[in-house]
Amino acid sequence: MAHEVSIGFVGNPNCGKTTLFNAYTGANLKVANWPGVTVEKKEGSFRFHDQEYRLVDLPGTYSLTSYTMEEQVTRQYILSDEVDVIIDVADASSLERNLYLTLQLIELGKPVILALNMMDIVEKRGMEIDLHRLPEMLGIPVIPVSARRKTGLDILMHAAAHHRNQGHDLPLIHHHGNDGPEEHTEQTRHQHQHHKEFAMVYSDEIEDKIDLLIPLLRKNYPELQNYRWHALKLLEHDPEISSRYPVECPEALSKSYEKEIINQKYDFIDEIVQEVLVNKEKKAAITDKADSILTHKWFGLPIFLLIMALVFFFTFTVGDWLKGYFEMGLELFSGGVRTGLETLSVSPLVISLLVDGIIAGVGGILTFLPNILILFLALAFLEDSGYMARVAYVMDSIMGKLGLSGRSFIPMVLGFGCTVPAIMASRALENKRDRYKTMLITPFMSCSARLPIYVLFSQLFFPQCAMLAAYSMYLLGLLVAILCAFLIHLFDKKHTKENALLIELPEYKAPSARTIFIYVWEKVKDYLTKAGTTIFIASILMWFLLNFGPNGYSEDMSQTFGSMIGRWIVPFFAPIGLGFWQIVVALIAGISAKEVVVSSCAVLFGISNINSAAGMSAILGSLGAMGFGPLNAYALMTFSLLYVPCAATLATIKKETNSWGWTGFVALFQIAVAWGVTFLVYHIGLLLI
Amino acid sequence: MITLQEAEAGVAYRVKELSLPVNLERRLEALGLIEGSEIFVLRKKRRGAMIVKVRGTRFAVGYGISSHISVEKGGLSCGA
Repeated sequence: MAHEVSIGFVGNPNCGKTTLFNAYTGANLKVANWPGVTVEKKEGSFRFHDQEYRLVDLPGTYSLTSYTMEEQVTRQYILSDEVDVIIDVADASSLERNLYLTLQLIELGKPVILALNMMDIVEKRGMEIDLHRLPEMLGIPVIPVSARRKTGLDILMHAAAHHRNQGHDLPLIHHHGNDGPEEHTEQTRHQHQHHKEFAMVYSDEIEDKIDLLIPLLRKNYPELQNYRWHALKLLEHDPEISSRYPVECPEALSKSYEKEIINQKYDFIDEIVQEVLVNKEKKAAITDKADSILTHKWFGLPIFLLIMALVFFFTFTVGDWLKGYFEMGLELFSGGVRTGLETLSVSPLVISLLVDGIIAGVGGILTFLPNILILFLALAFLEDSGYMARVAYVMDSIMGKLGLSGRSFIPMVLGFGCTVPAIMASRALENKRDRYKTMLITPFMSCSARLPIYVLFSQLFFPQCAMLAAYSMYLLGLLVAILCAFLIHLFDKKHTKENALLIELPEYKAPSARTIFIYVWEKVKDYLTKAGTTIFIASILMWFLLNFGPNGYSEDMSQTFGSMIGRWIVPFFAPIGLGFWQIVVALIAGISAKEVVVSSCAVLFGISNINSAAGMSAILGSLGAMGFGPLNAYALMTFSLLYVPCAATLATIKKETNSWGWTGFVALFQIAVAWGVTFLVYHIGLLLI
Repeated sequence: MITLQEAEAGVAYRVKELSLPVNLERRLEALGLIEGSEIFVLRKKRRGAMIVKVRGTRFAVGYGISSHISVEKGGLSCGA
């Protein structure tokens, strides 16, 4: 068998690269970070015609300069020997912009194949691309594909397999500038000489400099592979290449030719587009019509709020409907295990650990899976349809008043799903101050792990308006986040830079079922893994703490370690209406993962199916006996919403900021805010009752 | 010559000059927004962000950027 072929997928953000990548690899991929940086690396493999292919999804990028981490990672990977072929995925419906990256890739000198994605959209708009002329002008194979409809996939892989050992061997027939004799004479001297090797020939001034630099590079650095590219980078005064391969050549390097090189690339792209694009812009895109409503001056914001309200409405109603089946299953399972073990006369201690500890804790959490599934489904839909970027535009003026750009709002919306990816999404913010601020307030956005807490306690104590009580938590979280941002902005005004929002608004498209499925599956898998690991361990630990005391196993929970720890900390929680040691223990355990607050309650009150009607009345009885009423429940929900984000979030903040100090500050800040807000809620509540 | 911030919606302009921090200029370059690019203003709010179209792609651009780009009326075609 031939050796494995490595294929790197490169492309602009929003070009459908991930959809295409998923079409080949499916959900079986390895996600890790690139060595040394927190940029995601996705890898998948598959077999095709007796050949192993290893596909690497490189970060979406617009160019290959070295100004952002994404660009550096992509560039270094392509230059390394690890990759055999590059598939450049381009959105055919905005060919003009996508070709800029293509030209840069071709210059890198590795085998490149251009995959023209979204050809269906191009056709729909009545446009045509001359697929004969385009490869001629670029000198690389061009394969039309549709990642969504899965057309052209096999042909693309064929091309990759055949092209991997060849550079650009197609004869290039390319005219630079017009054919008019006199006006462009200064551009013609080099073209015949270079034509066979390079798609892109620059003006004589630059080509002359390249010709000066290449022999020097060849002499000084015989190990280099692509002299032309390195010469171009030196002319651009690229910081990385200039410091790694310095060359003494003042007549070529006295000034940076970066602007000229970029301009000439775009000139060439203009030329290409004029030749290959037929029936340009015939039909007004649907996107413009949709945008006239969704990004409307006045309606934009209400529409966004309505969409979010719908998302949560579905999360609660559809999720609750599905949840019924989960509960029935769990009840049968837990009852079966107990009777089964009892007939086998297993020791009551083991039965207690299994049924009251593990099944109650882990199983209780699993019944919330439907709610979480629906929530992530909705978020995936918003992201994949192209709406999320509009949210940044719609929210920009409001965020501007808080000293942030509209772009900061995207991590906040993602925070409704899970804080961990939301914190990672803050990477897209260029400004470090904005990033830190966003990281500080994003955990206040109520993530799906807090959902079980609201669902349980609002159904227990506010049965008539459970959804309203839960919804109020989301609003409260948003409000606290905005308020915090505003206060920071007041103290931080002198550092605030001008609002530099810059975000691409992709075309709207029908979300791809496969992309959404893979996205949601990843989240569900995370949730199940969490249930199987963190929550599993936390449940066992809770069971131990609540069944053992200084005198060994104890039937009386008030004699256990758990109760001792809880009682010791209770004074801190008493002023905010949470002076119950059981609740305190649950909250502390909840730092491992917020769902653990609920699973701990299940263990604490010995209820195997906390989310069922019987379980609820049992817990309501126990809580009522303690004097824990609706106001305490609301205080608990508020505190759970705002206090220290889970361990995974803290770990992510540490990784992103690389600072324990900052991470500790975030944790303390959040406890302080949670305590303060809960104090207010509780005491205002006391006055009202 | 006016700044992009003062430009009207529904009109094509040509970029004359960018005066922004280097990093931002690089990002705009990668997106195809350079001196001489044609830019079409799709929508704008009175203050704050606007939606523009450059080389067939839509972008939301904040005040801090649009007020530092000088433009002049008269792109060749309308970009919409």
